[in-house]
Parts: sequence; C-alpha cells; structure tokens
Amino acid sequence: MADLFTSALSGMNAAQVGLATTEHNIANASTPGFTRQEILISSRAGHQTGAGFIGEGVDVTGVKRIYDDFLNTQVHQEQNRASYLNTYHSAIRQIDSLVADPAAGASPAMQGFFDALNGVASNPESLPSRQAFLGNAQFAVNRFQAIDQRLTDIANGLTNQIASSVNVVNSYARQVATLNGNIKRATALGQGQQPNDLLDQRDLLISKLNQEIKTTVLQNSDGTAGVYIGNGQALVIDEQAMQLLTVQSPGDPSKVEVVYNNNGKTSALQQSSLQGGNLGAYLDFRDQTLEPSRNALGRVALGMAASINQQNQLGQDLNGALGGNLFNAVSPRVDRNTNNDPASGVPSVTIANVAGLTTSDYQLKFNGGTGYTLLRLSDNTATSYATLPQTVDGMTINAPAPITAGDSFLIRPTANAARDIALATNDPTKIAVAAPIRGTAALTNSGTAKISSGTVNAPPPTNANLKNNVTVAFVDATHYTVTDNSTLPAPTVLAPSTLYDPNVGATLTFNGWTTQITGTPVAGDVFNITSNTNATGDNRNALLMASFQTQNLMANGTVSFLGAYSQLVGEVGAKTSELSVTSQAQTNMVAQTVAAQQSVSGVNLDEEAANLIRYQKAYQAAAKAMQIAQTMFDAIMNIK
Amino acid sequence: MRISSNTIFDSNVASMTQQQARLMQTQQQIASGRRMLTASDDPVAAARALELNQSDAINTQYAANRTAARHKLSLAESSLQSVTSLLQDVQTATVKAGNGTLNSSDRKTIATELSGRLQELTGLANSTDGTGNYLFAGFQSKTQPFVNTPTGMGYFGDDGQHNVQVSAARQIASSDSGADVFMRVKNGNGTFITQAAATNTGTGAVSSGSVTNPAALVAGNSYSISFSLVAGVMNYAVTGAPVTLGAPVTGVYVSGQTISFDGMQLDIQGTPAVTDTFTVTPSTNESIFTTISDLIAALNAPVAGASLTNSLNRGLNNLDNALNNVLTTRSSLGLRLNEIDALQSAGEDLGLQFKQTLSQLQDTDYNKAISELTQLQMGLQAAQKSFVKIADLSLFSYI
Repeated sequence: MADLFTSALSGMNAAQVGLATTEHNIANASTPGFTRQEILISSRAGHQTGAGFIGEGVDVTGVKRIYDDFLNTQVHQEQNRASYLNTYHSAIRQIDSLVADPAAGASPAMQGFFDALNGVASNPESLPSRQAFLGNAQFAVNRFQAIDQRLTDIANGLTNQIASSVNVVNSYARQVATLNGNIKRATALGQGQQPNDLLDQRDLLISKLNQEIKTTVLQNSDGTAGVYIGNGQALVIDEQAMQLLTVQSPGDPSKVEVVYNNNGKTSALQQSSLQGGNLGAYLDFRDQTLEPSRNALGRVALGMAASINQQNQLGQDLNGALGGNLFNAVSPRVDRNTNNDPASGVPSVTIANVAGLTTSDYQLKFNGGTGYTLLRLSDNTATSYATLPQTVDGMTINAPAPITAGDSFLIRPTANAARDIALATNDPTKIAVAAPIRGTAALTNSGTAKISSGTVNAPPPTNANLKNNVTVAFVDATHYTVTDNSTLPAPTVLAPSTLYDPNVGATLTFNGWTTQITGTPVAGDVFNITSNTNATGDNRNALLMASFQTQNLMANGTVSFLGAYSQLVGEVGAKTSELSVTSQAQTNMVAQTVAAQQSVSGVNLDEEAANLIRYQKAYQAAAKAMQIAQTMFDAIMNIK
Repeated sequence: MRISSNTIFDSNVASMTQQQARLMQTQQQIASGRRMLTASDDPVAAARALELNQSDAINTQYAANRTAARHKLSLAESSLQSVTSLLQDVQTATVKAGNGTLNSSDRKTIATELSGRLQELTGLANSTDGTGNYLFAGFQSKTQPFVNTPTGMGYFGDDGQHNVQVSAARQIASSDSGADVFMRVKNGNGTFITQAAATNTGTGAVSSGSVTNPAALVAGNSYSISFSLVAGVMNYAVTGAPVTLGAPVTGVYVSGQTISFDGMQLDIQGTPAVTDTFTVTPSTNESIFTTISDLIAALNAPVAGASLTNSLNRGLNNLDNALNNVLTTRSSLGLRLNEIDALQSAGEDLGLQFKQTLSQLQDTDYNKAISELTQLQMGLQAAQKSFVKIADLSLFSYI
C-alpha cells in the first residue's frame, strides 16, 4: 500500500519539476544566450515479488540544457566573421562616399585646375584669367586638404574605437574569468550536475567576445573554459584574465598597437594574431584601406604639385623672371623607431621623380656592417644597399648620421602630401606662362630658313647662361657658327663652323635651350636666340603645363593624375562592393547558423505550452492515483 | 525541424530590414537620377565615369580654346582684309601716277593720298584685339610693334606665334608675326631686283625681269649692264661680281629686246645714254612701309621721265609682292579657321558620345528602377502581412 503512495508522490514530484522547468523555459524564452532545459527522469527499479518486479514510481535525475557544442562554436565563428565584415564595411563606406562623390571628390577640383590653366594659355596677357587659375589652384589644394582631413578624422576615430574595443575585450575577459570560478565551485557542489544558467551566461560572454576578436575556447574537466586569441595567446585561463592595452606603435608614432598589460608592464603581441571581429576590422581597415588611400591621394597631390612646379621653373613669369614654385615643395614623412639609439639621426628623404612614386610605405633598417635593408611594405620586397644615398621608387634616401646597428625608420613618401600641399604664391604674375627664350630671324635674312621659338631643357634648375644673347650666323648656305654675345667685346664661340643640310635642318642645343632651324638659308643670314623680354603674349610654357592633364606622368608613365585618382576610387569602390556582398552573405550565414543552433537550443513556446499541459495532466493523474490509494487505505480501515 | 519562437521573429525582422534597405536604395536611385550612388555600387563604371568626365570636360575646354583662337584669327583676318584693299588702292594710285599727262602737282596730290594710306597701314599693322594686345607683335603683345624711327619703320615685336590647343593632338597658331606679314617682303621679282642708276640721263626703263633657268642662277651674285657706242651703234655689256660671267654677254642694244645671262632675263625699253648703267642684285626684304614711302618720295620729286618710270615700276613690283604676301597670310588664316570649324563639329560629335556613354554608365534606367521599386514594395508588404499572421499563431491562445 505504501508503494502506491510513494509511487504517486514521485509522479507528482516529477510533474512539479517538469512544470517548474517549463515555466523557466517560458520565462527565459527571449533571454539572450538562454538554452532550453529539460528534466531527466527515469523510472525507479521495481521491488521483487513473487509476481515479478513491481515498479515504484519515477525519479528526477537532473535538469539538462539542450546544447550542441559544435553548433555553438559555429555560431561564434560565423558571428566573429560577420562582425568583422560588417564593421569593415561600415568603415570603408565613409571613404567610398567621399572619394567618388561628384561634388566632394578631388576630380572636379583637378578638372577646374586644368580648365583654368587652359584659360591662361588662351589669354596669357589677362590678369583675370591668371587670377582665376590661382583661385582654382587654391580650390584644388583645399579639396585635397579637406579629403585628407576627413581621412585623418576617420583615423583618429579608429584610434578611439580600437581603444574601446580593447576595453570591451578586457571587460568580457574579466567576466569570463569570474564565471569560470563560479562554475568551477558550482560544479563541485552539484556533484556532477551542471550549473546550466551560469554556463549559458558564459557562452553568451564568449559569443560577445568573439564579436570583438577571434578566440579559441578549450573546455576543461573542472567546468572552466580557457579562452585564447590568435595563435594560442592566452586571454583567460581558469580564473585569471589577461589584460590588453593600446600603446603608440614603436615603428610608427602615428598609430597605436595592441599589447599585453602585465600589471603595468607591457609585452608585445603579434599584431597579426588580432584577427576577426570589430578589433580585427578596425586594424585591417586602418592598415589595408585607410593608409593606402591616403598615400594614393597624396601621390596625386604630390604628382600634380611637383610636375607643375618643375615646369613653372622652366618658364618665365609676367615680370620677365624665371618661374619659381607655384606649390610648396612637399617632403616625405620619415619616422624613427622609438627603440632606436636616441643619439641616432634620421635619414633625409627627397622626391627624385614623380613617375617612380608608389603608394606604399617603406621600412629602412641599418644592419651594421652589411649596410641597409629597405622593405617595401605593400608587397614586402626587401632590397639591400651597402651604402646610401640611393634613389628607389622615385625618392632619394640619404644616409642618417650618426647611426647604430638595428636602427629602423618608417618612410612614407606620399602620406603627408595631400595634407601639406599649399600654394607657394598668390601673385598672379608669378605663373610662368611664357618661355624664357625666343628664336628670331633677322629681318634682313634673304634665305627661306626659319628658326623655331625654342624650348628650355628639363629638368630645372635652368642653365645659368640660358638667357644670353646667342647668334647663329650662316657663313655660307651650308655652314653656320654659334656665338654667345653676352661676353662682348670678346664673344664666346659655342660652335665653330658647323655643317648644315638644308634638307634635314639642324637641332641646336646650347646654354640649356633647344631650337630647330629648317629651310634654306643663304650666306649672311643670322638667327638670334635671346631673352624673351616683354613676352606678354607668349603661352608656350602654359601649353606645356596644360598638356600634363592628359599625359601619363604617374606610376612609371602608365596613368595620368586623374587616372591615378580614379584608381584610388576604383580600388576603394571594389573593396566596398566586395564587403557589401560578403557582409550581406555573412549576415545570412549567421542567421542560418543561429537558426540551426536555435532549432536545438531555442525555446518553442508552443512546445512549452504542450509541456505545461503534459505535466499538468501528469500531476493530476498522479494526484488521482494518490486519491485512489487513499480510498483503498480507507476501505481497509473501514473493515470492522 | 524544430523552430524556436525567437527564430520566427529574428528571421522575419532580418528579412524585412534587408528589403527595406533595397527599397531605400532603389528609391534613392530614382530620386537622384543616378544609378551609382557611391563608387561601390559599380566600381568599374565609377572609375570609368571619372575618366570619361575628364575627357568630356577636356573636350569642352578645347571648344572654349577654339572659340578664343577663332576670335583672334577673325580679328587678324579682318585687319588683313583692310590691308589688302588698302594695297589695291595704292596700286591703283601708283598706276594712275604713271600716266604721262600728269604734271608734278598732280603727282604731289597722289603722294599726299599715299601718305594718308601709309598712316592707315601703320594703324592696321598695330591693330589690337580690343583689350590692348597687339595682333602682329609676336610674343610681345603689349609692345607696339610698328613705330616710325629716323631710319624708317621699325619692327619691335618678334617672330613668336601664339599657339592654341584646339584638339587633343592639334595646336593651331592663332597669331602671325608682324615681321612675316609686313616686313619680310621680297623686293624685285622675288629673286633679283633690277634698278636704274640714279645718275642715268637716258630714257631707258628696265623691266623687272624673270628667272628662266633656276639651276643656272648664281646665288648672291650682282650684275651691272653698261652701254657703249661701237661704230655709232649702241651696244650693251653685262658684268658679274663677285663671280664673273663665264662667257661675255654683249650685243647690239635694241629697245625691248631680251637680255639673258646666268638663268635670268630682262629687257630695257627706250634709249639709254652711254653713261647709263642698270644693276641686277639679289632680292632683299623690304617692308611694305618702305615700298610706299619710296613711292611717295618718287612722286614728290620734281622730275618725270625714265627715273619716275623706273621708280614706279619698282614700286608696283614691290606692291605686287606685298599684296601676295598678305594674301598668302590670309589664305593661311582662312585654312586655320576652316580647320577650327571642322574640329568644332568633330568635337561636338565627340562630346555627344561622351555624354551618351556617361549617361549609360551612371544614370538611372527609370523603367527598370520603377518596376523594381514596385516589386520590392509588394515583397515587403507581403512579408509584413504574413509576419503578423504567423506571430498570432500560439497554443497559449487556446489554453
């Protein structure tokens, strides 16, 4: 008889635990990280009678969470990748909308600059058109600076985001460590029963941690979880959480890097181990998109400024003087590694030729006796040099002095160009529209030979004797002499009697200019190359400058200025487009993985509703059994 | 498959968010008229559109350059047109002055008329473009190119030509040097010039002569023709210097008969005196101004007869050359203007092509975009309605 009571009671108990667990599931249906729980029940072993084993009821052996480690790990991984892609995408979109915008990009400003230059070439005498050119040049300068400023703002924002992401990682790591302790003790107390809700909380934290940085999790038998980043660098071990910190990068003072913080002492961390998640996205965006973009923008600005400067120096301004710089000369940025010998100097780097410049940064390292190693960071090409100076990729690197073995420097040829570009003059007469020399034929010449106006030989500086008065005199129809008259009364003979072929003509190069004589001269014909005084109507130099718009002056003569800029637009656009597609795909991937994980661990309210009814009925049935047992007991008691 | 209640909500919200984003993108494409809102929408087309935009802008710039060049060329052409009719007037006056019935005061009247023409010519040669830039001064556009000096008209410009970029591959000179137009005019017949000595007393008038055999010409050589009476008959003799003639050229002088030597020929009409000489020298450059002022001087001189005829002949010859020179320049101007017109229409065609390609690259196809918008709208509405229905389904409603 007692068995009937025990049996019914165990049934009521089991139904009660079932109801409580179902209530718990319903209550936590939308709790993040919650996995549904189930009660484990088993029937009690029956006691032996002559009629066989008679059952004695039911036992609740535990409450377990419905959890699939494989699916959970997959969700973490996919979420990690999704947060990396989404963060990278939203970061790069800032640049994408900036560089290609028809109003805010650099291309309209570059176009305006060359339009105005053409205007000057068409009307060299006109001060208003010169003023308009300076206005457009200033506009182009402002536009380069504005885009660079925006990139700097984004970079500064990134520094803050990296720091706050590191703080979030530290915070989660500490919480995981604390939970590790709690779980360890609860597991020990529970004698094999798992603290389901604590485990859920820890999984949720690890999932959030994975949104910041890619981690690997190892479960230990005592219930604790070890969390590792990169190639096995520990973040959380047992109840210990390592702390990360952002510090100024020793190689590049303009950026921060992430290091271990051991009670105030920092130890370096492989930056490549900081992968995935928001933190990985910030670092990759900064190093792979933002800085190359700024270098590419700087290269266009520097290319335009240096090319125009060079040509302006070959020309003559409205005051009759040789032209100077229209733009400030922009110099490459060189940073010393903070670990260098403090006594060491810094190498000076100058731009040698615009066409050779790349968008890469370079690391220069002094190896002591064996000389220098220059590493191009874009493709990791290392070149060794026994001595400096050397001209590499359009820049000339001079030896730093003094120098200690192991010193290294970061050379960024074009990084600052868009920021530092500026007009060197606001005087419209300083635009060297004319050429400094002109060739003229004497009015008394009776032959048909002609002389070209002449060009000035590049590169600057111009020859000191450029503007000397030079005479080409034909002693007979096929011989000429060239004389520099600036040293009268003793003229300098530049070329003694030289053969002239009327069918071919002659190209004369003296004193830094070049001119052509064509046609048939007669004895006594004289040509002069003189200083181009009063040449208000000469536009030869402006025509040359205007032609730079369509010449391929960048990237070893493969693209024009705008071509180089549209490469930047194309690269940023392609990367953004790729990220737009992959981040969307990854978001869908996460949704699917989460759905799969939820299909195992998520709460289905209909199912819980059914369970409520199930356990309610079970409870009612067990209670009825109890009532029947009581009735039976009463029946016995009523036997008199 | 088991579905968690959260999944039903999450997946519906995610799908509606995505549809809303696409709807927004399509709406922006329609509102802005641009297919590419940022470079990432079509990176290849965006980079290409940048370059096409530049090409289009350069093409527009060339059109502006052509307008500037056409303006300058037209100004020069209209100046030179006036110079042409002026020179023709001077020619007419010079021919009129050769009329034997005129007396010296008649000729002085013509000389006065020519002086006025000379001043007019100076004015035309110093034409400006309306903003104070001289058209015929070479590079020195602010310097007055033609100024009277004690030694005659001086040229203070240079040989510079102002080039204008009128198309990608073509620069056209929009100015001509004043030296080429007004100063470098060959005198005589262009190869040599015949002149009567100022001391001649006879009535011999020399023709301008012509070249019969260019290969036989001796470059730079001068000749003189002298006369002698041999047995009462007038004979002529030609001597060359510094290169003497291979075979002596002598003969009986007959008025109007051709005298030939070293590849050239000329004739003398009238009766020269024995002491008279005629010279043949290589042509040199003579400015139009010098030609006209020489004519004025000859007309102002009191004498008539052979000396006047010789001066007028010489002057007419030089005027012919001057007119030819100006007409040559004008035809070159006309060719350049024609070329600019041809380039203009080619440039307009090119501009149209650029604009079409650009439009294809970056403009919204409204038919496509609006039909897509409708489609997306329907999709979103369906998702919203079905979501509300599914969310309503719950067993809890029945217990």
